[in-house]
Amino acid sequence: MEKLTQKDNLPSSTQFSEFWRKFKKNRMGLVGLVMLAAITFVAVFAPLIAPHRSSSILNVGVSDIYKAPSAQHIFGTDDAGADVFTNFIYGARVSLTVGFFAAFISIVIGGVLGIVAGFFGGRVENILMRFTDIMLVIPDLPLMVVIVALTKPSLLNIIFVIGLLGWTTTARMVRSQTLAVKSRKFVLRARAIGSSQFHIIRRHIFPLVTPILVVQAVLVVSLAVLNESTLSFLGLGDPTVLSWGQMLNYAFGRGAMSTGAWWALVVPGFGIVWVVLGLTLLGQGLEQVLNPRLDTHHLMPGRPNVKSTSVALSRNETQPASGKSLLEVQNLSVNYVTEGQLSARAVESVSFTLKEGELIGLVGESGCGKTTLMLALLQLLPSAGQIVNGQVLFGGRDLTTLSDDEMNTVRWSEISIVFQGAMNALNPVRSVGDQIAEAIKKHLTGFPSDKISTRVVELLDLVGIAADHKDHFPHQYSGGMRQRAMIAMALACNPQIIIADEPTTALDVMIQAQILELLNSLRTKLGLAIIFVTHDLGVVAEMCDRVLVMYGGVTAEYADVDIIYNEAKHPYTQELLKAFPDLTRPKKKLSSIPGYPPRLDALPAGCRFAPRCPVVFERCHQEQPSLHQMDGNRHIASCHLLEASK
Amino acid sequence: MFVLVLNFFLFRVLPGDPARAGVHDPRLKKDSIEAIRVRFGLDKPVINCFETLNPIKLGSCDINPLDTQFFIYLKNLVTGELGISYHTNRPVATVLAERLWNTVLLIGAGQILSITVGAFFGVFAAWKARTAIDYGALATSLVVWSLPTFWLGIILLFWGSANGLPIGGKATPGMSSAPLMQQWGDIARHMILPTVTYTIVYMGEYMLIMRSSLMDVLSEDYILTAKAKGLGVFQILRDHALKNAMLPLVTIIAINLGFTVAGAIQIETVFSWPGLGGAIFEAVNRRDFPVLQGAFLLIAVTVIVANLIADLTYSYLDPRVHTE
Repeated sequence: MEKLTQKDNLPSSTQFSEFWRKFKKNRMGLVGLVMLAAITFVAVFAPLIAPHRSSSILNVGVSDIYKAPSAQHIFGTDDAGADVFTNFIYGARVSLTVGFFAAFISIVIGGVLGIVAGFFGGRVENILMRFTDIMLVIPDLPLMVVIVALTKPSLLNIIFVIGLLGWTTTARMVRSQTLAVKSRKFVLRARAIGSSQFHIIRRHIFPLVTPILVVQAVLVVSLAVLNESTLSFLGLGDPTVLSWGQMLNYAFGRGAMSTGAWWALVVPGFGIVWVVLGLTLLGQGLEQVLNPRLDTHHLMPGRPNVKSTSVALSRNETQPASGKSLLEVQNLSVNYVTEGQLSARAVESVSFTLKEGELIGLVGESGCGKTTLMLALLQLLPSAGQIVNGQVLFGGRDLTTLSDDEMNTVRWSEISIVFQGAMNALNPVRSVGDQIAEAIKKHLTGFPSDKISTRVVELLDLVGIAADHKDHFPHQYSGGMRQRAMIAMALACNPQIIIADEPTTALDVMIQAQILELLNSLRTKLGLAIIFVTHDLGVVAEMCDRVLVMYGGVTAEYADVDIIYNEAKHPYTQELLKAFPDLTRPKKKLSSIPGYPPRLDALPAGCRFAPRCPVVFERCHQEQPSLHQMDGNRHIASCHLLEASK
Repeated sequence: MFVLVLNFFLFRVLPGDPARAGVHDPRLKKDSIEAIRVRFGLDKPVINCFETLNPIKLGSCDINPLDTQFFIYLKNLVTGELGISYHTNRPVATVLAERLWNTVLLIGAGQILSITVGAFFGVFAAWKARTAIDYGALATSLVVWSLPTFWLGIILLFWGSANGLPIGGKATPGMSSAPLMQQWGDIARHMILPTVTYTIVYMGEYMLIMRSSLMDVLSEDYILTAKAKGLGVFQILRDHALKNAMLPLVTIIAINLGFTVAGAIQIETVFSWPGLGGAIFEAVNRRDFPVLQGAFLLIAVTVIVANLIADLTYSYLDPRVHTE
């Protein structure tokens, strides 16, 4: 929001050049603009371009009618012996004139109604929007046909009728934009200092509504051109003015069809398509530039994993002393690539080992690559993400080398994941029980189908959800229930590992505690191994066996939980602990780490924590520290200080 | 209700006395005109004091409100009586009913086809987003969206007539005595060109909407959940994405159904299809107000019914609507 405010303060020339810079990259918009420029040029300089004078139809003979295209008449002649190409060029004038003027009327009406309705609200808005809704429901064309037919068929009339009927969508869109803008801070501020309403509308609302008006205007012009040609084609146009629609009307009504004079039909239609297509492309292009949307989704194929062989793969620095290791992540690196260019090194050379029944805490501030790392384990990275190095060893296989189909047999049945904010992680149009059953059906193929329902109830019971909620939909669940349902779903196929990606964010404290307790008890009851992603050190202290602290996409420190709490070596871990209240030392002063984690697309040259580090020295800014092993591989940290102290 | 009132006044306010416009013939004697006016109920005042909107005279108004055109219009509406066509002298309801079925036939076929084709390509484009397939589908839909309906109709007509397809009307003359199967086959052949026109013109819009809607759905968290559950691409599309992505499409289809009469005017004119759109067009040229009034009423009802259907479908597809 603040960003927008700033942008609003920029001089308009800067804004425009910024807009133009983006627009130049938009191929669709550019093509549209060029198409429009071409036809506008033709229309403006019609007398210079036209090969024949438009009045040269005075001395035509019968033989001149519907003459096929020739050198003299490149698009042949029409029913009156006139040159089709000449008429086409002059027709552009009419069509564009009608289009622009009619659209102007529509945009002014729609803009004013929209702003007034949105800005003043209350009864004014109610009445205006009711009216708009009714107008929106009335089909334009039949109404236009009736009105134009019953009034005098002049160009002016057509412009007014089209203009007066075409404002509804504009009004609606402008209204919603005004509503959105109205509550922005700078508008409220302007109100607070007592600016007049007119001033606020003119200086604050209007500039932010303009982009929508521009896009709408382009689309409304195209509709107006279409409507004019339709009316003219139906014989309701101004008979004295030869628009493209009128040309088609004459040709269609006067035997072009039966004489096979395709040129008289194709050429004017081509003009209409050209203009409308140009406007549509321009509108789409503008929309994309002014209102950018990410055109990616979860089903887009990911990038193939790349392994650079130059890095030694197995360093095995943290071989566990006891217990069978279940999952071994070695030197895993993930890059984000946008438009063919490396945009972020989100995860770099992270290694950790998960033993059976173990709970690992993955800690770090937001934007440290924690979620990326978890998604990479299951090959669920967005299409821009790419594993560039490392291995994920599970059950004797390297998961990073598996195909999507092979991966699907591992997902959920072996490793399942509970996403942060189960708000949207459940499909809103399917019942919760159904979604749990789906996982069972998919993976436990031998499972008797009549027992599935019982199993679902059992799972829900396990997480403390009553059986009668089985057929309810996610929106009928509370936030905590949804998260528990997610956990039930994660348990459905008896996986060995559950990844819990910040499962308690956005939940209130009581529910958080419940969920954590649930996870912990399930771990002991079912012997699950859990990777717990969080930024809550309290949770880590209470539940985890080992802790991996990540900062800026790399491992900061990795050790047993008591080592982390008592002998943290990395300044980042130490700072994190200082920011966390300790019940045993209630008088301790809490401090926060100034600044933010580095943006993964703009990492500092040396140590990633250097800009915020309280004990930073010169080397930190130049050289990235390597991992130091202490305590017989049970404790690793990456800091230059450790080397210095050795 | 508003529509009913608007509908009535629209055709009273527009220039031209309905009676004189409808029977525009200078040879008619004054009393015959008067007789015609009585026959169509035009001798009655439009509405109580409508003619005397002069504020000075407003007090002296002694017209029985139950004996006005407006009241009779409303009364007739309740009984399903739409008046008598000026031109054909037949009841409007009968005229429109037969026309309506032809339009429903044409539009029904066209809508079903365009929705199927459009939605299919929309799904395909969204799934294969940012590939050549996607860009191709996008470009095609923008182009077909820009085609004027009537022009596409003309071009297809041109092409069709060269390839032996019937060029207009609903049936070949003289077919009415043929066996039923043959009659239907004949109608189907006549429907090919208009239906194809209709399909192409509307396909682009459906494709664009389906694509953007599915793109939105596919970037939702629950799709990632489905993927993490190990479901295959087709299963995710079928079980988790399509139903959700259909929601915006339903709204657009409903709105379009109301607007299809607009498209019908163009198509029915080009292909001389005896439908509602053609009826409106003819009625306009003949100043046949009762028919127009009836047709607009029919359109209004269609729009309202279409919206109702949309709401019902919506609540069927989206459990959030009917449980709250």
